[in-house]
Amino acid sequence: MSASPATILIVEDDPDILRLVADVMRREGFGVETAEDGAAMDAALARAHPDLIILDIMLPGEDGLSICRRLRAQSQLPILMLTAKSEEIDRVVGLEMGADDYLVKPFGSRELLARVRALLRRVNAQPLAPASRRFAFDRFTIDLDARQLVDERGSGPALTSAEFDLLACFVQRPRRVLTRDQILDWTRGRTADPLDRTIDMLVSRLRKKLEAASPGSNPISTVRNGGYLFTADVKRVP
Amino acid sequence: MLRLSLATRITLIVLVMLLVAWIGALALYYRSQAGAGENARPLPHQIAALVELAEQTPPDQRPLFYEAVSSSILNVRSADTANLPSPEARPVVAALHDSYAAALGDRAFVITTRPVTGSSGLATRGLEFRVVLKDGETLVLDTKSPLPLTVFGLPVGFGAGLIGTLIALAALIVMHRETRPLARLSAAVDRMDLAGEPSLLPQARTSAPEIQTLIAAFNRLQERLSRLLRARMAMLGGISHDVRTFATRLRLRVDHIPEGTERERAIGDIDDIVRLLDDALLSSRAGAGELSEELVDFGRIVEAEVEDRKAAGAPVDLRMGAPAADAAILGDRLALRRIVSNLIDNAVKYGQAAHLSLETDPEAVLLTIDDEGPGIPAELREELFEPFVRLETSRNRRTGGAGLGLAIVRNLVEAQGGSVATGDAPAGGARFTVRLPLFRHRESPDDGAAMPPDSRS
Repeated sequence: MSASPATILIVEDDPDILRLVADVMRREGFGVETAEDGAAMDAALARAHPDLIILDIMLPGEDGLSICRRLRAQSQLPILMLTAKSEEIDRVVGLEMGADDYLVKPFGSRELLARVRALLRRVNAQPLAPASRRFAFDRFTIDLDARQLVDERGSGPALTSAEFDLLACFVQRPRRVLTRDQILDWTRGRTADPLDRTIDMLVSRLRKKLEAASPGSNPISTVRNGGYLFTADVKRVP
Repeated sequence: MLRLSLATRITLIVLVMLLVAWIGALALYYRSQAGAGENARPLPHQIAALVELAEQTPPDQRPLFYEAVSSSILNVRSADTANLPSPEARPVVAALHDSYAAALGDRAFVITTRPVTGSSGLATRGLEFRVVLKDGETLVLDTKSPLPLTVFGLPVGFGAGLIGTLIALAALIVMHRETRPLARLSAAVDRMDLAGEPSLLPQARTSAPEIQTLIAAFNRLQERLSRLLRARMAMLGGISHDVRTFATRLRLRVDHIPEGTERERAIGDIDDIVRLLDDALLSSRAGAGELSEELVDFGRIVEAEVEDRKAAGAPVDLRMGAPAADAAILGDRLALRRIVSNLIDNAVKYGQAAHLSLETDPEAVLLTIDDEGPGIPAELREELFEPFVRLETSRNRRTGGAGLGLAIVRNLVEAQGGSVATGDAPAGGARFTVRLPLFRHRESPDDGAAMPPDSRS
């Protein structure tokens, strides 16, 4: 462990849990900052420079998931989510929103400390090598950074930026049913009109282009109640 | 048994009635025609009498006589040309001729049928008698068919029948329209997703008041049920959240207790409380649309669960065909794992062993789990899927759980469009069968998309 103790920012609305978690951290020699909601967290972030954030999902005002996404857009600060629900969907969403780890309530102090230490070690060991953003499916390879879709001969259909965003959304979440709302959310952010039917048109255009470039390639399935499913096997490639 | 829709039944009834009416009308028509034919044809002795009278009437008085005996169905006149049938006439059958020959004695006569009158040109039956009187004059007796014709030359009843038929057809169409809301209503009841937004049935202003009332009542019922269910879910969710918060505080405080068995027991109790709460929440969720949907190889999940138990030394085995191994279904990975593990653990706990087999049919994947226990009495099979129901009623936690395992299984299976049933295993013991629909690639939404697109998001 490095000479100067790491500082932990705890964001939790229940005062008792906040105090108990802070006590555990202080006992182990960490520096502790606390906040009870998103606004207080922003103030604490400006004041101190924490090495790790422990973030509760259920918060008054802006919820933990939204805070997590906002933080992740700005920095690589490790985030440990505290979730009240044990369903995996919450975990997946939490991680997808940028959390580095999660802990389901109730948890013991030993478990909490182990997770915090593991996260800090990981960050110190390797300054977060960015994961590859190239994926392969069917006969195609898509590079999210270069914004390119090519088949094995090196050519590929010319996609508009909206079509590319849609495909990027699918390959990052393969074999999961995505509702129109979710797709809109991920491709354009929350400003989009939630009743927008253009997703349907985009999907149909994307289908045609994929089919034309690779006959028989038909990875997008429509499911009941207005959702879509990317059925192809997607592999991350270096 | 053949099941006919209300509309089909009424259609068939109306068709049968129409057929009966048509046949009846035809019968009446022919009966009246036969009578009319009889009346239209003068009897031989009548003809003989007429001829006799005509002969006795002085020639200058005959026109007066003719006028006296002529009527709307019998025209009597004289013709100068002797014994000549009109050129277009055809002689009638010999039998008819013979019956008149006796009455008319040795007078020469000819009977012909004529295509008579009728502005439409339709031929109706008419008979023309030409009898040569003793003084050489030819008497013409012209009988007309008494069948009344309309201006169009059609029998009067025909128009009424045609209009009746058209009205009946129109009534059929209208009736079909009337019963359509009922079909829509029953489809909506089947589709009703209480956990999601209520999908209200539109009111058609043209429907019958009874149907409108029914649809309005259904919509109210749906809203009430949905509100009730949402309130219950919200309450359970709230309780769950608060208990978790208390449990978290308690769990962190327990860490201050010095190490020892009491501390371990306290931690175990807290875990049990939370698990019970989670299970209760999970088992009360009736297809609440809170499960994620992803493409899952069900065979792999079953395999993984079985391998886990085997590694721990439990008597569990799996028989799986090649197609079943690749069976992809649309479901929630965690929920599917929970279904399989609950059923395996139940079988091992109450039936000493779990024998699994996985098969597919064109529609679905079928998971069968047999055990070697005493089996389940038939009358308790349905009840067993209710929350907090256990075969062993002591409620002793050591001999079993809270009785939520099968309730969770049923809710999770049904939330993913499947079904679960229980019966007897061939080798004795209980058998549980889970049926989950296979994934089908589709480019366009099916009938389910008639619901608003984001009713389940």
